[in-house]
Amino acid sequence: MTKINQPFYSTNLSFYIILCISIISIIPLFTIIINSSIIDFDFTLFKNSQFLEYTKNSLIILFFVLFLTFIFGVIPAYLVTFYNFVGVKFFKYSLILSFAIPPYIFGYSLSAFFENFGSGYTLINLIWDTNNANSYLPNFSPIVNSVLSLSFTLYGYVYLLSRTSFVGQSVNLLDLGKSLGFSSYQRFFKIILPCARPGIFIGLSLVAMETLSDFGTVSYFGVSTFTTEIYNSWFIFDDLNTSNFLSLLLLIFVLFFFIVENYLRKDSRFHSLKNEGKRKKQALKGTKNFLATAFCLCLFVFSFVFPFSQMLYWSIKFPEYLANFEILKLNLNTFLLIFFTSFFLISVAIFTNFGNRVLKNRFLSVFSSLSISGYAIPGIIISVSIISFFSLVSSFINFDLKTIFIGSFYGLILGYFFRFYSIAYNGIKSNFLKINYSLDESSYLMGFDKFKTFSTVHWPILNKNIFFIFILIAIEIIKELPITLILRPFNFETFSTRAYNFATQDLIEATAIPSMFLIFWASIFILISFKYFFQDNK
Amino acid sequence: MNFFVYLIVFFFSLHINADEINLYTTRHYDSDIKLYKEFTKQTGINVNIISGKAKPLEKRILEEGKSCKGDLFFLADAGRLYSSQKNGVFKKVSSKVLEKKIPAQFRSDYWFGITKRARIIFYNPKKISSEDLVNLSYEDLTDKRFNKYIAIRQSNNVYNQSLIASLIENHGLEYTRSWTKKFVTNFSRKPKGNDRAQILSVASGESKLAIANTYYYGLMLSGKKGKEQKEAAKKVRPFFPNQQNRGTHMNISGIGVLKHSPNPDNAIKFIEFLLTHAAQEHMVNNTFEYPMIESVDPPSLITKMGGSFKQDNITNVSSYGKWQTDAFKIMQEAGWN
Repeated sequence: MTKINQPFYSTNLSFYIILCISIISIIPLFTIIINSSIIDFDFTLFKNSQFLEYTKNSLIILFFVLFLTFIFGVIPAYLVTFYNFVGVKFFKYSLILSFAIPPYIFGYSLSAFFENFGSGYTLINLIWDTNNANSYLPNFSPIVNSVLSLSFTLYGYVYLLSRTSFVGQSVNLLDLGKSLGFSSYQRFFKIILPCARPGIFIGLSLVAMETLSDFGTVSYFGVSTFTTEIYNSWFIFDDLNTSNFLSLLLLIFVLFFFIVENYLRKDSRFHSLKNEGKRKKQALKGTKNFLATAFCLCLFVFSFVFPFSQMLYWSIKFPEYLANFEILKLNLNTFLLIFFTSFFLISVAIFTNFGNRVLKNRFLSVFSSLSISGYAIPGIIISVSIISFFSLVSSFINFDLKTIFIGSFYGLILGYFFRFYSIAYNGIKSNFLKINYSLDESSYLMGFDKFKTFSTVHWPILNKNIFFIFILIAIEIIKELPITLILRPFNFETFSTRAYNFATQDLIEATAIPSMFLIFWASIFILISFKYFFQDNK
Repeated sequence: MNFFVYLIVFFFSLHINADEINLYTTRHYDSDIKLYKEFTKQTGINVNIISGKAKPLEKRILEEGKSCKGDLFFLADAGRLYSSQKNGVFKKVSSKVLEKKIPAQFRSDYWFGITKRARIIFYNPKKISSEDLVNLSYEDLTDKRFNKYIAIRQSNNVYNQSLIASLIENHGLEYTRSWTKKFVTNFSRKPKGNDRAQILSVASGESKLAIANTYYYGLMLSGKKGKEQKEAAKKVRPFFPNQQNRGTHMNISGIGVLKHSPNPDNAIKFIEFLLTHAAQEHMVNNTFEYPMIESVDPPSLITKMGGSFKQDNITNVSSYGKWQTDAFKIMQEAGWN
């Protein structure tokens, strides 16, 4: 376990600190398992028609969201990587702006547009002046609405990851396909798609995790799914233990995608980016050019322009809601959360990854990987775990930890730590993996100690990407709702809690201003980090 | 290091304030916040707020236990108030003022109704004649003549659960079970959307009857939702059922003092303030609910709908909480999604 030229106590201390961090980070998982195991569980639940109904709904939604995000992600990624068509440069970047829209806000826009006497009705009346505008608007079922909201806001994962895979594909391989006389369709299905499989699956796994743990969207449209049932057991039957048990079932299901994702991520490292020679993009002409542009344009319009303009329309139509809007305070709150959380998360992730690299302890390394499971747990369950856990510990140790962590800024940061630690951990880890171990060895030979090795060898390589990890965390925190809602201190609001408050009092129009700010900041973050999203171009 | 010590002190100091009350609320009205500011102006007592969903807030209060800084819990459904009372969230409070102002069926020893809301029927006069609705009760909505007429939101909605719970309280489980089964067959579409969406469905002619709370209609008529929604609301008429028997189903928003409230005196002062003439007037004029105290008239938009209707003064609203779980089971069994 101990490593050369380092005092024993120091490595030992790092070992325990990393162990502690890992133990703390699995508190939600631990609490869910403990609470699920104490229920007097009735196994007839699995035969219950309600259980079957919401499981079926969850699977239907999952299936269609995966299907649509595959189409919305892979096709434009393929087009912008291999072809030139009108607007290709614009679409390459703009298609990831959909990350700025949380699915629940897309849901608000969708329902407001298509409902009876909604904005679609106003628009049709404006153009045709008819009395019957409601009947021209399609009447989507709640499941269709949920699938659309989730697909248009989550396809970015598949788009980005499959694009990265496409860019990394060997030009020689593609040339070989050409010389074998493959048509562009054959090349796509026989070479490009199979080679990009790991990237696409990672993207789809992320989509699956987000879809399965989504509550905001499905509950807004009123679809009974696994997550809404978790809420029903608690909110209506007042049975938090069953709700914990259902969360555990969901978690097992979600962890399946999580493991697939992690496995593929490891696997994909070996498909390194050997981009021999310069790829020449093929120019599309005529109908093909038009179709490619039309497809990307529609996708951009539906995923970003549509929800954004709905919010803009409301902000202009109902300016009175701006009056009570505490712009400065909300911005300050959001940014305080972002800075403190990302500082904390990134520091912990650097320490843990560096420790793991130095200690080379297999147990610790596996245990640390478990600590990122929080990403798969719905936010509300994380918040409840924090509340239950600190209440339990406080009564054990006879010290009031509750006041420190429930309803405080620290509690919020801890909640985000559980939920988003994986972003920081995986981000830093993948950068550490790029640093060859021989560099560490040379540094030790030169007489540098571990800290010096970190500061002079690792840090200059790591710090380029830290900003990108910070941005990713910031985007998630800005959009986060359930943890903030439950764990926040008195009088503490963010854009998402403001939007939620208005939505629940049926003033969906008033959600426009907080939503606009939310989208605005998230878009700014995405814009300034474009070069990181597309760093494979270098 | 000093910087961090400063920060820690800063964040803790956010919570420290001498004369204050801390309020947990599931009501999200901006107008409520204005009212609380008025309370601060009058008494010098600051009101700190956390809003959210009922159960997570309840969980937080219960787990915080004695260290809970909260003084009051404001909930928007009688069933939820009952459930929180049962779980030991509230402390017993006796106030002569409150007992005098609030009718007995809208309060318990632990909580007090602040505003009322009626869950009524809306119809489209172009599609259905008002004569067809004469003497109509909720109980009659299972009639075959209403086949494919009714729009209502989903069974997981707490106002629907309370409505069905009131039927259980008045007629028993068996009657309600068979009533709900027939009622579901009269739905015009698969339940979706909020109460306003049901009213809009009637306005568009998609459904002929809708069941919704009155304040959604008031909100549409007020123009706060835009002119299209105002025009749509005008196409719809309200109807108050059960006028020949126990009266229209009423629900409440109510508030109780928390068990470990650090400022119970201020908390009671606050509840009494909410029941003053001015506060009640402010609330109902902004939220379009019905006032709890008699001296205040409902907002004019609401009185136009029918000011003097018979409210259900027989069924104690506590019973909604007692039966809500059974109500939800019955609704699910009947295929009410």
